[in-house]
Amino acid sequence: MSALALQENAARALAWRQVTARVARHQDYGAGHRWLDLVLPAVAPRPLAGQFVQLLLEAPSPVLLPRPMSVAAAATRGDRLVLGFLYAPVGSGTRTLAALEPGDHVEVLSPLGRGYPLEIKGTPVLVAGGRGVAPLLFAADALARSGRRCEFFFGARDRGRLVGLEEARRRLDRMGSRLHLATDDGSRGFHGTVMDLLDRVALRLPQPLVIHACGPHSMLKAVARWGTGHGVPAYVAMESIMACGTGVCRGCPLPRSSQARAAYGRSGDGVPPSLLGNRDYAMCCTEGPVFAAEDLDWERVE
Amino acid sequence: MTKRPGLAERSDPTGPRIGSVDLMVRIGPLTLLNPVLTASGTFGYGDEYAHVVDLGTLGGVITKTVTVKPRPGNPPTRIAETPAGMLNSIGLENVGLERFRREKLPKLRELGAAVVASLGGETPRELARLMEALGDEPGIGGFEINFSCPNVSKGGARYWAVPRRLERTLLMLRPLTRRALIAKLSPDVTSVADLAKACEQGGADAVTAVNTFVGMSVDLDHVRNRLNRSTGGLSGPAIKPLALARCWEAAAAVAIPVIGSGGIMSGRDALEFIGVGAAAVQVGTLSFVRPRGAGEVLDEMVAWLVERGVRRLDDWRGSLAPRPDEACAPRPSRGTLAERLRPRRR
Ligand SMILES: Cc1cc2nc3c(=O)[nH]c(=O)nc-3n(C[C@H](O)[C@H](O)[C@H](O)COP(=O)(O)OP(=O)(O)OC[C@H]3O[C@@H](n4cnc5c(N)ncnc54)[C@H](O)[C@@H]3O)c2cc1C
Ligand SMILES: Cc1cc2nc3c(=O)[nH]c(=O)nc-3n(C[C@H](O)[C@H](O)[C@H](O)COP(=O)(O)O)c2cc1C
Ligand code: FES
Repeated sequence: MSALALQENAARALAWRQVTARVARHQDYGAGHRWLDLVLPAVAPRPLAGQFVQLLLEAPSPVLLPRPMSVAAAATRGDRLVLGFLYAPVGSGTRTLAALEPGDHVEVLSPLGRGYPLEIKGTPVLVAGGRGVAPLLFAADALARSGRRCEFFFGARDRGRLVGLEEARRRLDRMGSRLHLATDDGSRGFHGTVMDLLDRVALRLPQPLVIHACGPHSMLKAVARWGTGHGVPAYVAMESIMACGTGVCRGCPLPRSSQARAAYGRSGDGVPPSLLGNRDYAMCCTEGPVFAAEDLDWERVE
Repeated sequence: MTKRPGLAERSDPTGPRIGSVDLMVRIGPLTLLNPVLTASGTFGYGDEYAHVVDLGTLGGVITKTVTVKPRPGNPPTRIAETPAGMLNSIGLENVGLERFRREKLPKLRELGAAVVASLGGETPRELARLMEALGDEPGIGGFEINFSCPNVSKGGARYWAVPRRLERTLLMLRPLTRRALIAKLSPDVTSVADLAKACEQGGADAVTAVNTFVGMSVDLDHVRNRLNRSTGGLSGPAIKPLALARCWEAAAAVAIPVIGSGGIMSGRDALEFIGVGAAAVQVGTLSFVRPRGAGEVLDEMVAWLVERGVRRLDDWRGSLAPRPDEACAPRPSRGTLAERLRPRRR
């Protein structure tokens, strides 16, 4: 990461706010997923691709803690901010969220964590697995805005689970970026995992490559291994159960790699150190959710 | 922003009446502007929230428990949500005494809030070392000794749940500081009252009742424990009735102030704790849900008191648990405050 990016990250680490947001659009998005557009007063900075928010349901709510959610789209409309989310209703929190209607309100803590270092030179290779596509839709958008092409790899179990595929296509077409599809059952695109597909076509892509990925941790582990094996830097968006989302509860540790442990503490970046993790564990909410893959101990990541 | 004075002015023209409430609280040598503090481990070192919370309006900030050596904390998973609560198994992750002095202390002095440093140790000796190092440091208004962490294998709640050990340890710490000395107790004991009395004997200026309750959560679908260490500390609304009872029990047993903690999510919750005898309260889990929660608790509390014409928090304190001690004894002439405030039945 460049010195400037580090500085910006440091300033952004303490820029979050909690605001009341209004549901503007809420619709089905295929394979049981939902798309949610929230309108926020623009008192908090606009999130970067890869950053997340904490969504807090208004009382009475069946859950106590807010729920972390990646930002899938961001636009400024006058003095308002419109943030888009793509999510799967999997438990009581997200199922209650799924029932909200336009005009309803939620509390939003935003923006949180660190996004993808999209400024890094090289061909951006975006690798999405299932609903992990959410922050990468945003990344594709951000790259298109700065006039950069990318290679977008999208994998899922079957064609129905390639959620947001049309959205992805729209964002990629603008810059002539390419979409590479893979399904485990071969019902669409390449028959196999998205990493098998990347492995096949990587040599034909404009070098050098930089990977930005999001998906199940098992997929991200494969991304990390592939990146190390091919000398390609890889940035991965991780998940962890969270309480605060702001670095104070220490509830979201991810194990650092031995290399990251050895380097720990050498490069202060202006962020209050107590917000970040310690030598053994990084905090997913403040140092992440996007990590350089080599900084995590994948043997111990769950 | 200006600091809120001890007398919180409320002038809401649409409200039932304009008034002010004396909220000042004394904990030994420490004077708090008001009774709402942020609980240890739930508000970092204060500066993490300084951009959204006017820290000067809070009664005080209690920092994350610091130990002599830095602690990496427990492996994941450290958090599990439960009905109306959360379990945590953080394992006292903290930067350690050295970095606390070097990096955090200078910032704490600039917070603009009363600071209480939470100290943790596996032995009385370790606590004494921390107190020798920090006892006279400017910028710290008091110390809360964490005798009640449920998530460490050594020096946790169980080790400290022995009245004589508490008393001796506090007798050892007392001469090492002139600042407020507060003992934070575990609820998972036979008698909180006995522990509170031991702390009073040992020279503590106050006790905090209570830390989290030991709890457990299993994931039946994946046939595993949700937390790394099997058990964790339960906090949030789920524990409020339990904590309220422990707080009342402690307050009835000792003459020193008791600071209530456990499931406080609103001004009304805080008033309940103060009503059963707490001198002050701590807001924990609420800060994760609403970072400005502690301030909101304070505002709601004041609004409630103003609405009922209660001008001094001391008048409300203990109203729901009269005890044979002058400050809180029922006033025979007018009945207790609780009686006066009670709506009349038809
Ligand atoms: C940084 C980040 C970004 C995320 N982005 C998205 C997204 O864009 N779209 C999407 O569909 N989901 C996303 N998730 C996952 C989402 O937060 C969980 O699905 C959600 O918290 C589940 O809550 P629940 O009440 O419905 O489920 P429950 O099972 O009832 O939740 C119980 C507890 O487990 C936690 N939990 C359960 N699953 C997860 C998980 N995968 N990650 C973290 N905590 C979990 C909950 O927060 C809660 O505390 C993201 C998670 C993180 C950490
Ligand atoms: C994530 C988490 C971390 C905590 N860390 C500490 C700690 O380091 N020291 C301590 O004395 N109490 C700690 N506590 C306990 C709280 O200070 C508080 O006493 C308890 O959570 C009950 O209050 P609540 O229900 O308002 O949260 C912690 C609680 C939580 C939820
Ligand atoms: S969720 Fe609280 S520290 Fe990361």
